[in-house]
Amino acid sequence: MVKFLKIIPIAVKTGTVTIKYPYQEPLVTDSFRGAIEIDPNKCVGCGACTRICPPKALTLTTESNTMILRYFVGRCIFCGMCADTCPEKAIKITKEFELATGNIYDLYSDVEHEVKTCSICGKTFTSKKLSNKIASKVPDIPTETMDLCPDCRRKETLKKFIGVPEQ
Amino acid sequence: MDSGEANMSGASMVSAHSTNIVGDAISKIMEFKDKVFSIEQRGGIVRIKIHRDILPHIVQRLAILKGIYLRTMMASDERGLEGVYRLYYVFGVDKEHTNLVFEVALPQEDPKVPTVVDINRASDWYELEAHDMLGVEFLNRKLYRLVLPEDWPEKVHPLKKEYSVSELLKLYRPKAVEYAKEIGAENIVTIPIGPYHPALHEPEFFELYVRGEKVIDARYMGFMVHRGIEKLGENMKYDQVPFLAERICGICGFVHSTSYCQAVENALDIDVPERALFIRSIILEIERIHSHLLWVGVALHLLGYDTGFMHSWRIRERVMILAELLTGSRKTYGINVVGGVRRDIDNDKIRKAIDVLNYVREEFKKLVEISINVPQVTARLRGTGVLPLGEAIALSLVGPTARGSGLDRDVRRDYPYAAYKYVSFRVPTYSEGDNLARTLVRVDETFESIDMLYQLLDKLPSGSIRNESWSVEPYRLGIGSVEAPRGEVIHVLLTGEYSPYRWRVRAPTYQNLPAIPIMLKGIDLADAPLTIASIDPCFSCTDRAIVVDVDRNTVKSIPIEALSLKGTRAIR
Amino acid sequence: MSQSTIKESSSKSIDLKKALSRIKRSIWVFHINTGSCNGCDIEILDVLTPYFDVERFGIKLVVSPRHADLALLTGPVTIKTFSKVYRALSAMPRPRFVLAIGSCAVGGNIWFESYSTMGGFPKVLEMFSEMGLEIDGVVYVPGCPARPEAIIYGAATLLGLQKPKTVYRRFKA
Repeated sequence: MVKFLKIIPIAVKTGTVTIKYPYQEPLVTDSFRGAIEIDPNKCVGCGACTRICPPKALTLTTESNTMILRYFVGRCIFCGMCADTCPEKAIKITKEFELATGNIYDLYSDVEHEVKTCSICGKTFTSKKLSNKIASKVPDIPTETMDLCPDCRRKETLKKFIGVPEQ
Repeated sequence: MDSGEANMSGASMVSAHSTNIVGDAISKIMEFKDKVFSIEQRGGIVRIKIHRDILPHIVQRLAILKGIYLRTMMASDERGLEGVYRLYYVFGVDKEHTNLVFEVALPQEDPKVPTVVDINRASDWYELEAHDMLGVEFLNRKLYRLVLPEDWPEKVHPLKKEYSVSELLKLYRPKAVEYAKEIGAENIVTIPIGPYHPALHEPEFFELYVRGEKVIDARYMGFMVHRGIEKLGENMKYDQVPFLAERICGICGFVHSTSYCQAVENALDIDVPERALFIRSIILEIERIHSHLLWVGVALHLLGYDTGFMHSWRIRERVMILAELLTGSRKTYGINVVGGVRRDIDNDKIRKAIDVLNYVREEFKKLVEISINVPQVTARLRGTGVLPLGEAIALSLVGPTARGSGLDRDVRRDYPYAAYKYVSFRVPTYSEGDNLARTLVRVDETFESIDMLYQLLDKLPSGSIRNESWSVEPYRLGIGSVEAPRGEVIHVLLTGEYSPYRWRVRAPTYQNLPAIPIMLKGIDLADAPLTIASIDPCFSCTDRAIVVDVDRNTVKSIPIEALSLKGTRAIR
Repeated sequence: MSQSTIKESSSKSIDLKKALSRIKRSIWVFHINTGSCNGCDIEILDVLTPYFDVERFGIKLVVSPRHADLALLTGPVTIKTFSKVYRALSAMPRPRFVLAIGSCAVGGNIWFESYSTMGGFPKVLEMFSEMGLEIDGVVYVPGCPARPEAIIYGAATLLGLQKPKTVYRRFKA
């Protein structure tokens, strides 16, 4: 019985350790990973982040005439792989964890991109920003080719190669 | 493939390298010359292809040799590759750091194989799972649904390659809704019945059969947490799977992602930089400390000593804050990738880590003195839930559960991985096999881990932390295993072109759960919760238990804590 | 994208405010684990320990759903636990609130399209209203695992003590 009582001096020495959140700052360290923030000016709509995201919280969808990069923080696992993978460094990891809400649609955030449609078949195949970026990095691609979707590009190149006359 | 000719040069190469046990095993296997197709050794893995008829005989021969344990069994659908289903039985020879992998091919029109459950009791659940997931039939034994729900459609086996994830999705979700409507909203609590009533669908994990106040038998009804992880892993890229693996268990997640990365690195012979190995070991030991402190708190809570629970978790909180400082998250750290780690540790963090370790060692020593070494507590722990050494060997148990009964197995020493070859450590073992022995094993291990961390932080080498230049070769076999706080975790992997072809996960609690009915026979009902908790099961065990009184034919549902508190009141 | 909030008829919202004001001082919670990895469950236990100490707000953990006002739900609702969640929530007296904690409960996490789960609490909520089970208020707390401070923040949001910070945003690139 006596040994049990030795807890009392331990408790007195320790004192109170309670962090009186929310009236006091929370215990967040420097390396903490919270929700991400996408910079709409830097994002080009390449979709590299959507391919690496394990729970598919980042998705690229097409809605009428726009391409949307949708971030669903409800499914995010806060791993930070998207920030590591983004070639434009458009994704920043913040320390935000106070994300609770009663309305599930509040947990989505969208970045809209203008799309480029193929001049032959009319299909939407990429965003304007990504197309311009590639044109600036590889200047010797002719502009007519940049306006074609991958399928039509293959067909046109093959036609030129085997000498089919233009229709 | 069934040429009948054995690869004899492989056999002689193996016996030249190994010493006693592996050589003995190979010579016993070679008695069945014409049914053994090939033997190859690569590193610590010996792959032996055998015909299915001789499987029980081989397992029989291995059971006679001491020191060979069944680690896991993986069933894989290779109909696209060679037109067969294949079973991989992984036996481990601890003293010689070698794995013996027996590969049994089953033709696709006739996937039957003789059972080995009467020879090696540890294979029971592996066979049931292979039957559920792939439709393999084991002859001469009773097969029932283990992992999937009772009313899952008959011929649909999820791990077969012809089912995609989205197809399986549409199959069962509507049925779950129908079932729930049928069961209705009423709660059945007490009914006068026989020993067992099949319609009692309570969300329980353990059914205890009692006579008076003594437990005579126990039955585990679980697998509520089955989420289809192995099937999902086959659709993800190599670098996405560590995040999936980490969420298999929230308390010991890092061991699963390390084990997966080691399996891939073993299969593809990837060189991991030294600094990354040290960082992995450091985080693994930090996880061990916080898991054992959690367990001590839960055990004290079950004994009714809530003050001890609060103090133990107060000490543990500092460890979680340290983990967040080093990796970025309190749990599910997310720093493992194939070929290394993603986040580095600088000198400032090392200093803070050493401060936290000093604090934990001081405080934990005081807590153990006043809570565990106290007569009232040892009276409840001593002599209850005894697990004899013979049973531990027969079931191939792992972790503190085995080490508390005198079975000395530890993956850090027997199959060295990460940076453990650079540190010196003891493996605490006790031989009584009761709850007190398992408690003391965990307490000693915590102090050992703190010592190991001082050594690792001191010897941390410089260099890069990630090897990014590796390429994939399909259909190679890799095994990765790690000593988790609960025991041995082993992952077996077959590589594919962009994602794993087949990935098998075996957690330590899966191996240890069949020991519970043995430990519970004949003990007082009040000691049952602590005994169940003493194997440190990795599910939320703050649940209820069903108690079936066979003499009076009653069934009651009681919260587990209430069962245990009765015992403490009796002592006072 | 259509934005619809959880439907509340006007008569119910008056009941809700009155009910909330009655139980605000001392809310009794019941914990349901629907197949999670235990990460969020340990953080819930952490919220009761000295560092965060939620009992200073009057929140108490009870063992039976029949005594509870608020259900703490973790896990992606696996197919085996779906009927048990239904029964546990039906056993709670009105008004009943649910705090869906963690990325598994809010969106299904990595296994939202697995054959063995129902995909998170929002999907299950739709099925429950078809089966006649009404939930009076839900708050979603993202996080993997959800920090103890985030859980306290979520509970405070549910009790109406503060307004949520996150809103739907749409930017042009």
